[in-house]
Amino acid sequence: MEPPSAARSSPLGENRRRSSPPGRVFARLREPWTDRQAAWRLGAVASLVLLIIVLMVAFVAVRAWPVLQANGWISWLGTGGNVDHQLGQMIATGQHPPDSAYHLRAWPLIYGTLLTTGASVLIGLAFSLLAAIFIVEFAPARIRAVVVPAVRLLAAVPSVIYGLIGILVLAPWVGSHLISPGRKDSVQNVVQIDGTGVLVAVVVLTVMITPIMIAIVVDALRAIPPAWTEGAAALGANRWEVVWSVSVRAARPAIVAAAVLACARALGEAVGLSMVSGSRGFSPNPVDGITYLFEPIRPLAASMVENVDAINAPPVRASIYAFALLLLLSSLALSIGGYVAKLPMRRQGLRV
Amino acid sequence: MTIVPPTAALRRDAPRPAPRGDATRGWRWSQRLALVACWACGLALCAVTAAIVVYMGVRGVQYLNPELLFSRPTPGLQQHTTGGILDPIVGTIVLTVIGIALAVPLAVAAAVWLVEYGRPAPLARAVESGIEVVAGTPDIVIAIFGLAIFQLPLFAPLSFTASGGGVFGRSFLAAGAMMSLIALPLVFGAAREGLMAIPTHVREASWALGKTRICTIRTILLPQIRTNIATGSALGMGRIVGDTAVVVVLLGATLQLERQGDVPILGNLRGTGSTLTSYVYGASPAGEGNAPQKAYAAAFVLLLIVLTLNAAVDLLGRRKEPRA
Amino acid sequence: MTRTRRLAAAVTVVGILAFALPAGASAASTITISGATGSAPLVALLAKKYVKLKPGKVKFKLAQGGGEVGVQDAAAGRVTIGNAARDPRPSDPSGLVFYPIAKDFFCFDTNPANTLPNLSLAQAQAIWTGQVRNWEEVPGSTITGTIDLIGRTAASSLPPLVQQLLLGGKSISPLAALKPSDGLVEQSVASDKNAIGFNSGYYASQKDVHAVAFEGVACNLQNAKSGQYPGVRNYYEVTRGKATGAASAFINWIQHSAAARKIIASIAIPLN
Repeated sequence: MEPPSAARSSPLGENRRRSSPPGRVFARLREPWTDRQAAWRLGAVASLVLLIIVLMVAFVAVRAWPVLQANGWISWLGTGGNVDHQLGQMIATGQHPPDSAYHLRAWPLIYGTLLTTGASVLIGLAFSLLAAIFIVEFAPARIRAVVVPAVRLLAAVPSVIYGLIGILVLAPWVGSHLISPGRKDSVQNVVQIDGTGVLVAVVVLTVMITPIMIAIVVDALRAIPPAWTEGAAALGANRWEVVWSVSVRAARPAIVAAAVLACARALGEAVGLSMVSGSRGFSPNPVDGITYLFEPIRPLAASMVENVDAINAPPVRASIYAFALLLLLSSLALSIGGYVAKLPMRRQGLRV
Repeated sequence: MTIVPPTAALRRDAPRPAPRGDATRGWRWSQRLALVACWACGLALCAVTAAIVVYMGVRGVQYLNPELLFSRPTPGLQQHTTGGILDPIVGTIVLTVIGIALAVPLAVAAAVWLVEYGRPAPLARAVESGIEVVAGTPDIVIAIFGLAIFQLPLFAPLSFTASGGGVFGRSFLAAGAMMSLIALPLVFGAAREGLMAIPTHVREASWALGKTRICTIRTILLPQIRTNIATGSALGMGRIVGDTAVVVVLLGATLQLERQGDVPILGNLRGTGSTLTSYVYGASPAGEGNAPQKAYAAAFVLLLIVLTLNAAVDLLGRRKEPRA
Repeated sequence: MTRTRRLAAAVTVVGILAFALPAGASAASTITISGATGSAPLVALLAKKYVKLKPGKVKFKLAQGGGEVGVQDAAAGRVTIGNAARDPRPSDPSGLVFYPIAKDFFCFDTNPANTLPNLSLAQAQAIWTGQVRNWEEVPGSTITGTIDLIGRTAASSLPPLVQQLLLGGKSISPLAALKPSDGLVEQSVASDKNAIGFNSGYYASQKDVHAVAFEGVACNLQNAKSGQYPGVRNYYEVTRGKATGAASAFINWIQHSAAARKIIASIAIPLN
């Protein structure tokens, strides 16, 4: 059924229109919208959002262009030299720098991003899967009444608070208890370690993203039709088998989607990681064994925050926007990935 | 595609029957181990939350005092000379208000258009995925995009033109505009959910009485989804309050609220300032200020605000539940 | 009716906007400054005094960021004045004017637990190039263990000056931790007993760090004034084109008034 398409304005509006000039403007504004106007105006507002996104990609890409052009589309992602040094050189190059001033090899930053994101999502995934099973299947009502608000609270805590705890509590503890003078000496000719680094960054990031994953997985597990699990139970599966081979298996797409969303969040975490990652454009070397965990890194997003002061130097600006472009494209890809991952569940009529 | 706030699921608390007594009889060892792991994870979650809240609470009570709350911050190198956190608190409130005031109308209009009109369909799909993309875009990217936009000469009135001729591009208005992008997906998602939950026959009844679509929206649908919008706004406010990157990049992160020009309120909006998040960042050992005790105090206030918003979402959700 | 009232309010706001924008654009009494963290305390003191002398006439907005940032910000027109902490270079953006305002010294500093009495040029080179990595190998050191080098980010002008004047042209090792401001170097050195950093005079004179003598000359204001201590640099105020209006008046006041000279003499070295 369609609503009446009456496009007439009310008689009230007609009357007001004949009043004094400012009154006329008011009356004009107060006139009820016709349907066509409404569709048009609301549609315009909605499209505005779309426009902003297109602008965002365009602006970021245009500003990043000099770096892509000077280094080649792909090779600036590679290794070569000390990225902190390169970014440093960029600051004092004047307002019209030559192409050579844009030299950048950002691999350590990308490596830092991949490392923190990958590690925290993997750990978080295992943790959140178990926690979600606990919440949905095994938690007694009284404990559930505590866990559920706890997860919501953890999800709501601002990242800067996690960062603060990381830098004031975790990092000093790691620095004084886990890093022995001997360990420090063992890498003294490669890098200085002081507590902030891979380990603390991954721990803090994991705590940040796990609640989000738990929420999504819980949602998916709850969406499993009881008939499926009851059927399995009736066939003689015990409770764990039901959970593991029916619920979790059916919710697999949502679990992937949770991981994808958590990835997006972890990629973009800037300030929290800037505080606890050690802030060096350094690529930790797995050969160092356990010491690897204490070596400093700096993800892309943190690099953006830390270099934003120098954004008036054209090469620095281009580099920051290049990092932004990389993050933007990754999060776009992840959005699509998350959507695709959830398709199988949707096909079965489950709403996630 | 739906944008449901990630924690929305937790609110729909439909408990499944908990296992009773000797439920693990006949389980394999690996299964029992997994069960133990589940319990461990659940309890660890509670422990981590409790640890964070208690720790921040203790530090907050230890370092927070009324004088700190009501005095203005000043730049200083020693902790005792750096003043209070009044400006960051005001900054947080102002920025949140601007952000949410911009986000709510935009998001609600977009949601209404999408659900009630939604034609041409390809455009509707594009808008929907567009908002999903915004939801997934890192805040630092949004911030840096804002800087690119607001440094255009066109937007000089929103911040100010430095005497050298460049547009500063950082102000409450600029930061608020970008903050609205961060809150937008949450409000949009909530409003959309609400609209889609209203049965079609409600609309049809209204149309049958001769009301136009837009009139139906105004008088029937919007009042119905008021709670949804409120929930979405509270979530959005939580996100804005907790965001640091936009503040550091786009608010100028000056310690005090700096007014631009002579007009009282508008001048402040065009000026720069700080919020609790940027204050915590700045006062931590990672920032310029280095006053850890004040960072703790500010973080505690921030946490209280976030907890309040969280509780508000809870209350709203509960009020909505019986009606739906 | 409430809607009418609401509309009236909206129109009022628009009206205020319309009035305010031109007014705001013409208000030129705010001087924005960014740049060197080393000279920031000095400029802050000067600005405070200046505001007191001309109440209501002028306002300051001070940001730090590092000397190179100050130069770039001034060149981009983002600030009225950039604080620079080094001499002009040929590679600087064209059209900048450097106004010298003071001289300052800079020191190596260590944690108070390590009362290192002196560093010779050779020792300083060995430490900062990363050749010597343990305090055991540094004569006079009162601690043992790895040397933690605390350096500055490239936004700072200090590392090149340290290399030139205190390290005989040798480059600082890439091992050094990079801190974005003088204050953070001071804090890092104060909290890590194995650390050594370098800092402008104001920060190196604080009680929580130990300023190390260089080549037998104590690092302090007197020795720097007398010219015995080699680590001395110039502070500049940088503007895009010649300074005009309030900025010009402020710089002129710093360069010529007795009051400004007194302030400068208290924590740095006045010119001439």
